[in-house]
Amino acid sequence: MDASRRNLLKAAAILLVDQWADLHRCAFANEFTNSGKDDRKVIVVACGGIRRAETFHNTGLSNIPHLYRELLPRSVFYPFIRNAGATSHYNTISSILTGNWQRLDDWGETSPVNPTLFEYLRKRMRLSQDNAWLISSNKALTSRIGASSMRDFGPRYGANVIFPKQLLINAVIRAASQGHPEHSADRAAMQLELEAILQHADNYDGLGWSVSGNEPVLDLSMQSSMQKAIEDLVRTNAPVTGDEFTFLVSSEVMRRFAPSLLVMTFSDVEVAHFGSYSMHLAGIRTMDRLVYELWNLVQSLPSYSGRTTLFVLPEFGRDFDGSSTNGFFNHRAIDDSTCLTWMMCLGEAARSSDVVERPVQHIDICPTIAGLFGIKELDLPGKSLPGL
Amino acid sequence: MNNSRAQADAPAPDTYRRLIERLPVTLRPSLNQQLSQWGMLFPFERNRVATFMNGVEALGPSALDALTAPLRALELKMGVGHWSFSEDADTIENASLLARSAYYVEWRREVERVFEAVNATARDSTPIQTGSTRVILLFLPASLPVDPQTVWQQWDPRGQEIKISGDAGRICELALQGQPGLAGIATLLAGQTTPESSDLWLIDAEGRLNDMLSSLGSPPAASSLSYAALKPFRDRFLAELNKAPKSIQVTDEVVANLRRESWDGWNLWPAELIGQPRMRQFVIDLFLSGNGALIFSNAFVEWAASEALRRARPRAIVASFGMRNKPKAFTSIAIFENQQRISSLPDVADPENSAVDALILARYVWLSASRYPEHEQTICLCVSELRNTAYLIAPAGRSPGWSAERSVAPEDVYRWIAAQIVA
Repeated sequence: MDASRRNLLKAAAILLVDQWADLHRCAFANEFTNSGKDDRKVIVVACGGIRRAETFHNTGLSNIPHLYRELLPRSVFYPFIRNAGATSHYNTISSILTGNWQRLDDWGETSPVNPTLFEYLRKRMRLSQDNAWLISSNKALTSRIGASSMRDFGPRYGANVIFPKQLLINAVIRAASQGHPEHSADRAAMQLELEAILQHADNYDGLGWSVSGNEPVLDLSMQSSMQKAIEDLVRTNAPVTGDEFTFLVSSEVMRRFAPSLLVMTFSDVEVAHFGSYSMHLAGIRTMDRLVYELWNLVQSLPSYSGRTTLFVLPEFGRDFDGSSTNGFFNHRAIDDSTCLTWMMCLGEAARSSDVVERPVQHIDICPTIAGLFGIKELDLPGKSLPGL
Repeated sequence: MNNSRAQADAPAPDTYRRLIERLPVTLRPSLNQQLSQWGMLFPFERNRVATFMNGVEALGPSALDALTAPLRALELKMGVGHWSFSEDADTIENASLLARSAYYVEWRREVERVFEAVNATARDSTPIQTGSTRVILLFLPASLPVDPQTVWQQWDPRGQEIKISGDAGRICELALQGQPGLAGIATLLAGQTTPESSDLWLIDAEGRLNDMLSSLGSPPAASSLSYAALKPFRDRFLAELNKAPKSIQVTDEVVANLRRESWDGWNLWPAELIGQPRMRQFVIDLFLSGNGALIFSNAFVEWAASEALRRARPRAIVASFGMRNKPKAFTSIAIFENQQRISSLPDVADPENSAVDALILARYVWLSASRYPEHEQTICLCVSELRNTAYLIAPAGRSPGWSAERSVAPEDVYRWIAAQIVA
């Protein structure tokens, strides 16, 4: 990626996170210690629908040079993890977070019906909301993903949920809807479009974020910071990917809040739904690079180094070539190509590399992570992952 | 009884509606939707419904009840009776409710079992003929730089690579225009049966197929679709579709309204679809079924060809892929939007990645055909016009016998295909 463009995106991400920090009157991670902090860190990266054929298979290794060459040798690798639930994004992420197969409205109109990891952590360990984040590129999720509908848990123990990509989408659509197609190619005009979204309560709500109790208005004092970020962001002429921006925002959240549990979901690969295989492959390569950069970031941050466990997995595969569901376009078939994928675990819980061929399931992740935080005796159908 | 006879003898849809009432609830939406669009169905679809209904009737009430009892029991366990489940048409909400049921896998198995049993009963009295030779011609135009080393690597191993001597693009011209002493495909098909436009499909990412046809005196009986020619309609349709909020129920309403919309008043249809209500409905259904048909030209070609194969089982498909543009800064994030409308940056072609897309999607067309019994009598030829190479899959025992080392002239390739059609 072009270095100058990367810097511009990074500047935008930093300023975006600044905004929340100011909003909460808390600029840096060490200020959260009074609100409860745990040294252990877990990061989960869910990468959308990716087939084994395009990744950990001899036909796909060239798409994942960093995962294959750099990270696999130091990981506990699960070549067979099965998604036995509904292979839609909202249901899969909900299932990972709750340790129960969720069967909800695909478009996120209802909350998970079992407590999420965020809620278990925050309630049992008395952690503040800034210790639990979900940062997603995926339009299929909603802020309801951050907390369950369970009476004893729910939003008061939920996570901050943000969709950085949605900010960019809304700005583009806003320009188009107002009949200003030239704005998407003009820096100054695009800047105004982006600012307008964050300046007005109704537009901010339209982003679908849920931050610190879902405040309806962003702090106006942040407008000057955002203005700078947006100005930098619109300066590039190259394509800006949603996952890149999601990663940069996540990086800033890690630097400033150092949350105990951070869940990121990438979705560049989901361009496959529109039938561009080349763009799908580009999304896999972007994911591969970003996961590697994330791992390096974990090593470089004192608040993360030596105390972090990173899980990386596709949410599911995609349908096989020749399926009645149009192959890689979709993830609806009941077949190993769609339901069977891989997972990589790095860091503290995976001190010695291993390949665990015993099949595991997505719902095993929740009890495993809960166990890493010392939370036991959860009545969950999943089992703790072997090899950690 | 042959297929056309079965169609002519098919009872009126009202009779079918009564038979559908005897089926489990989850089988009804698809059948009812087809009945409600009866006039817009292709002959093959009407035959398929008629065959299924013949099977339902032939089974008799007690045998049908016994056959469907496990599916009804499953529906009870799934709680279908408490769902907001449309019996009138397939909806996104229906699909979502079924897919997230814990019994979804079992349900699919049961549905397949019921359909197979009913169709088997029907076939006992109405054998289906699939014997005619069919042809799928797929063209990767010279603008697409496919990798000559790997271009056919993923293709069906039953096929063979053919080197073309001279201009491989000539094969497309011959198929559409013919030449003295060698008729084009439309003429060959017309000489065999009563011309039926759904027997020949011309599907184009750009406008080259129509350009070739324009040199002919009168247009052939064909179902002709061009992504480029559909642009005014696509733009309007996409704008309407993008108004749908993020809600399954509301989206179903929007989809139903778009299907009912009288688009003819907008004067957006290309010339080849004027006077073709069935094809216009096909396009609307195609765009509503997603799969990128509204977004990328090559996805349009693949999905249109796949749907044509599923719904019409044509004798011949000629499909030509094309170029897509590079994603634009910022607006590429909103890929579901009309890129030209939301960005004033100029379009820039992306030949390398268009080639990657076109190659896998061309293969998908063959894979789609391979799901149906007719594929055993189907010739598939995919041509890279830049590399002067092609991949030929011929029915068992009908290989042309060309060696991999020897180049074959475009005229000889097409002459062999034409001979197979009329054989």
